[in-house]
Amino acid sequence: MPTNVTELIPHSALRDPQTNGEVVVSVRGLTKVFKDFWGRPKARAIDNVDFDVRRGEVFGLLGPNGSGKSTTVKLILGLLHPTKGHLEVFGHSPRHVATKSRIGYLPEESYLYRYLNSRETLQFFGNLFELPKEDRQKRSEQLLEMVGLSQVHLRAVGEFSKGMQRRIGLAQALINDPDLVILDEPTSGLDPIGCREVKDLIIALARRGKTVILSSHLLSDVEDVCDRVVIYYGGKIQAQGPLRDLLASPDTIQITTPALPRQTMERVLELIRRDVAEDKVKIDTPTQNLESYFLEIVQRARRAAAETSGATSGARVAAYLRGDAEQGAAGEKILERLAAPQPSPRPANAPAVPVAEAVDEKKLAALAQPGALPKPAPTPSREAEKPVELDQANEKLASLLNKPK
Amino acid sequence: MQRLLAITWLTWKAALRYRLFIVVTVLLLGAVVGLPLLIKDDGTARGFTQIVLTYTLGTITALLGLCTLWLACGTLARDIEECQMQVVATKPIARWQIWLGKWLGIMSLNGVLLALSGACVFGLLVFRASRLPADQQQVLRSEVLVARGSAKPPQADAEIERRTEELLQERLRKIRVEKADLQEVRNQVREQVKAAYQLVPPGYTRTWQIDLGSAARRLRGKPLTLRVKFNTAEGTSAGTFGGVWLVGVPRQTKLWRSEVLSLASDTFHEIQLEPDLFDDKGILTVNFVNPNETALLFPLNEGIEVLYPEGTFGLNFTRGLGIIFCWMALLAAIGLAAASFLSFPVAAFVALGMLAVVFSTTTMSSAVEEGTIANYNAEKGTKGWSPADVVVIPMFKAILKIISLAKEFSPIDSLSTGRSITWTQLGFAFAQVVLLLGGIAALFGMTVFTRRELATAQGTQ
Repeated sequence: MPTNVTELIPHSALRDPQTNGEVVVSVRGLTKVFKDFWGRPKARAIDNVDFDVRRGEVFGLLGPNGSGKSTTVKLILGLLHPTKGHLEVFGHSPRHVATKSRIGYLPEESYLYRYLNSRETLQFFGNLFELPKEDRQKRSEQLLEMVGLSQVHLRAVGEFSKGMQRRIGLAQALINDPDLVILDEPTSGLDPIGCREVKDLIIALARRGKTVILSSHLLSDVEDVCDRVVIYYGGKIQAQGPLRDLLASPDTIQITTPALPRQTMERVLELIRRDVAEDKVKIDTPTQNLESYFLEIVQRARRAAAETSGATSGARVAAYLRGDAEQGAAGEKILERLAAPQPSPRPANAPAVPVAEAVDEKKLAALAQPGALPKPAPTPSREAEKPVELDQANEKLASLLNKPK
Repeated sequence: MQRLLAITWLTWKAALRYRLFIVVTVLLLGAVVGLPLLIKDDGTARGFTQIVLTYTLGTITALLGLCTLWLACGTLARDIEECQMQVVATKPIARWQIWLGKWLGIMSLNGVLLALSGACVFGLLVFRASRLPADQQQVLRSEVLVARGSAKPPQADAEIERRTEELLQERLRKIRVEKADLQEVRNQVREQVKAAYQLVPPGYTRTWQIDLGSAARRLRGKPLTLRVKFNTAEGTSAGTFGGVWLVGVPRQTKLWRSEVLSLASDTFHEIQLEPDLFDDKGILTVNFVNPNETALLFPLNEGIEVLYPEGTFGLNFTRGLGIIFCWMALLAAIGLAAASFLSFPVAAFVALGMLAVVFSTTTMSSAVEEGTIANYNAEKGTKGWSPADVVVIPMFKAILKIISLAKEFSPIDSLSTGRSITWTQLGFAFAQVVLLLGGIAALFGMTVFTRRELATAQGTQ
């Protein structure tokens, strides 16, 4: 029985990036050396880096702490100047002022004015984009609603928890409906619901043809939403390419089905064992992940109208961020899916997810041909996994916590 | 414009939310109301009003000046240190606009604070004046709570220089002077010539001719005031010196003669003159008879001056505040320029250091006057010499010249002596202090801020 929480479907599995070849960010031979007071080299943060980010991509900058991700982001934003190399954003220098009207930036920490409340913060940044008053107010309302801060809009940002500060930071990054969104560790400090909402938002933005650059050391964040990644270590790119290529394991395949009768199972295994040694076949019952379980618990609490003094879960993505053309499509109501009793229908423009599909005879035939293995599915969808009954999950959790059910 | 105003609005928000505005307002109003209760005066209504004006306006200028410097350094440097600037600078606003927005924010705050405290000073003065006896009110309104124009004898600098060279050459023909001492001799001769222009020997009369210029036409039928000050080498048992003033030219103008007045040295005295003592060309002839046994010296720059009514105190007071506002604009620009490349404490230190230099120009002036930074040898009566003079003296001269552009205006002194601050003076103050000096600071600050890497600072939140 499926849970009423939508599983997070990997972005790359839901859509082909709507890239049209337009290069949004072009980086060539980029090097950044930090120097001391006397001009002596202190640290080589970035060393001869090359990559392009194309329109509509969700592009991940991945790497351990201090590997050069944030430095790259700050170079793209013109907050740092390259020591060597060439960098263009929308065909201009990163310091070109007009280009900045197309960029939204969420820094790795909440670098907002502590004495402003969240509404004033959005009004202030809206003014910097010279938004007309009506637009500014409308967008502020929608963003506050989206990030779940509409009930605390009069509290000073300095009084917010880290998670709430991240939320208002995200809202300010989107006030101008940017074409390029740069998110530096966007899920840092967020609760699981917030993390989920951010990832959903990134997908929604990418679906509208927006370009997203995501810098993170959290592999799950990157894996869930990115089309392409670069992996940094020591200021150098160690690997880069489409996520599905980097993660593909061409020597193995995984078949996920609903529970099968024992006899069927044995017949299938018998067939497989003809070609594969028994110790190489693995049969497992997928379990629901903790994120999904947690979200379910929160959903139940929300339905019981429990009050909170902190941020509430965000509502749907702000209307202006969804785009008028897409209004009404089920796929855009990303956050609404959290409350949906059934997994939400897949987006109209998304390719079919290999979930509970009828067995593709052709694919089976191809599988039977030795040496003719098709390209593996990008990332196995957790929607295909059999959900565990909530009662069972409760039981497990209770036993883990050593408490009565 | 929307962007500029957004930054200006942000500065206001910070000042209000951090309670800076309230604290400074209370301090300013406290000074305005409290100081008159503490200060001592000479017992006259005029003296009290002059002292109140000097102290309150001085305190307002000092408090507001310090606050401006502090706020200017803090508002930019802390935004950079606490990394908020990293978010603002990624929006479509040029760095110079951020800088200018901050400056406008500080100046609008200053404008409100100055208007509040100025209105309070003005209101208190008018209120106190209205409670005085009629005769004292009259004195106050004719000498302090008024805007008076001023006319002085023509500058004699060129004449003094010419005469000095003549005398020097004459002496050089008689006595041989070492090349190194030539400048010293020239200085001594110049002082002698200057003394001749200033001295009134015992039993002698001295005459000054003062051109009232275009003001003469409007001054027909109006009383004038003679403002004088003299120094003496010797004192008297009474501490005062006698003197008779004769104003006008026989057969050409009306004549006026004073009683034998007993006047103290080193003090300004105001003597009321009858109307219409000047001739058709607007020239006022003033004679002084020295009946004392000692010579009296009337300094060239402030020894004698004629004051005449020119406008109302209210407008004059507003123009005076206008000049103080120009100073604040310069301080804000200096603070922001320092914060454009320095951290908050260092920027504040540098800006305050610059302010200290401005207020201590005496050492620099004397070094420039002596032509050396080395000590004067009192035993030999010779001045020293330092190899650093080649660099330091021209540098001091340049600094003094720059400082004089801002310091040559003295609105507080003018207001307390009831002298007019003209629109021209205010215009010059704006041009020299705000546009020229403030512009240089702004250009430097904006350039540095635009070129600066903003993401090298780690957040201190």
